[in-house]
Amino acid sequence: MVNDTPKRVLVIDDASLVRRYYRTALESAGFEVAEALNGLEALEHLLGGHFDLLIVDVNMPQMDGVSFLQTLRAKSLPVGSMPALVISSETAPKRIAAANAAGANFYIVKPLRPEALVEYASLLCGVRHG
Amino acid sequence: MIFTETKRYYVERRVVDRMTVTGTTGFEPYFARLRADMDGEIEQFVNTFTINETYFYREEHQLTCLTSELLADRLKTKPRGQPIRIWSVPCSTGEEPYSIALWLLENWQHVDEHDIEIVGSDIDTDAIASARAGVYGKRALMRLPRPVVDRYFVPTGVDTWQIVSDLRDSVHFTRVNIVDRVETRAHGQFDVIFCRNVLIYFDDLSRRTAAENLFENLYPGGFICLGHTESMSRISPLFDVAWFADAIVYRRPSR
Repeated sequence: MVNDTPKRVLVIDDASLVRRYYRTALESAGFEVAEALNGLEALEHLLGGHFDLLIVDVNMPQMDGVSFLQTLRAKSLPVGSMPALVISSETAPKRIAAANAAGANFYIVKPLRPEALVEYASLLCGVRHG
Repeated sequence: MIFTETKRYYVERRVVDRMTVTGTTGFEPYFARLRADMDGEIEQFVNTFTINETYFYREEHQLTCLTSELLADRLKTKPRGQPIRIWSVPCSTGEEPYSIALWLLENWQHVDEHDIEIVGSDIDTDAIASARAGVYGKRALMRLPRPVVDRYFVPTGVDTWQIVSDLRDSVHFTRVNIVDRVETRAHGQFDVIFCRNVLIYFDDLSRRTAAENLFENLYPGGFICLGHTESMSRISPLFDVAWFADAIVYRRPSR
């Protein structure tokens, strides 16, 4: 990554294997990664610090990705405007439309190769990588 | 070979294993057998310390088979959204179930697409406690490529490493006696079971009972992987043999 301060990414997914998969890919490209298990935990993280990008799963217990985005976008700046990349195995057009309407900047259907994840993350964080 | 106090469990387990295999009841008769080197017991005893010590990525060909054939086969008939369930039994101190998680992260391009549930079970609660802690020595990690160790382990002392918390969270550990039908039933059905190097220690009846229990623990069409010296065809006629490029495994018929 051609940048001085590493960009911070919050990965929000209830599956620990998936969080680890994203973390490995992002860290190897120079991102700093924090994790949350659901939308509620993510909101707690956001109280405590700034992130350059949120990676959000759709189906999660406690607070799902769509409710999380709705809550997030209702907040004042700058928290309310953090870029969010939704990555889900959910392919139903209704669900995708709901995520986009709730404020997703991108919606990507799994599976996602590590290189593709890094590309999307770099794009949304406004950095070049490589 | 030198075993310090921290290795007590490791030593005890192997002595008990040898007592079971030789059918000796109690330590004294076993020790007498060992002293007399009956049926080459000394060599057998030493072997259990050198051969049976488990480590990460043991029987790698089966892990290759898992990601190159078994999972794709299971997904063909599995209802979408249903989690993929993998059972490592007995899991001893956790090397095998964690190896499965590591292997999937490193080698399966669909790892983020499916809910994957990995369960590790053993009859020995000390082993399970150790598995949950996830701390390993150099020998357990010897087969792992260095970058894999760096990515998924944190050094905790001189020549000890702990597997990262995401991976500890991704394996669910339970106690089970695979000869007990009620206990195995409670674990539900799996897509793939790894049951390596335990059936050889049972007598014929227990072996058959365990095989029948594990059969019930498989979804129809699900697979079971045994140790490379074991053969299910000699234990139970319930399973089909499935030949793949990387491994021979056994399968519960689809109907």
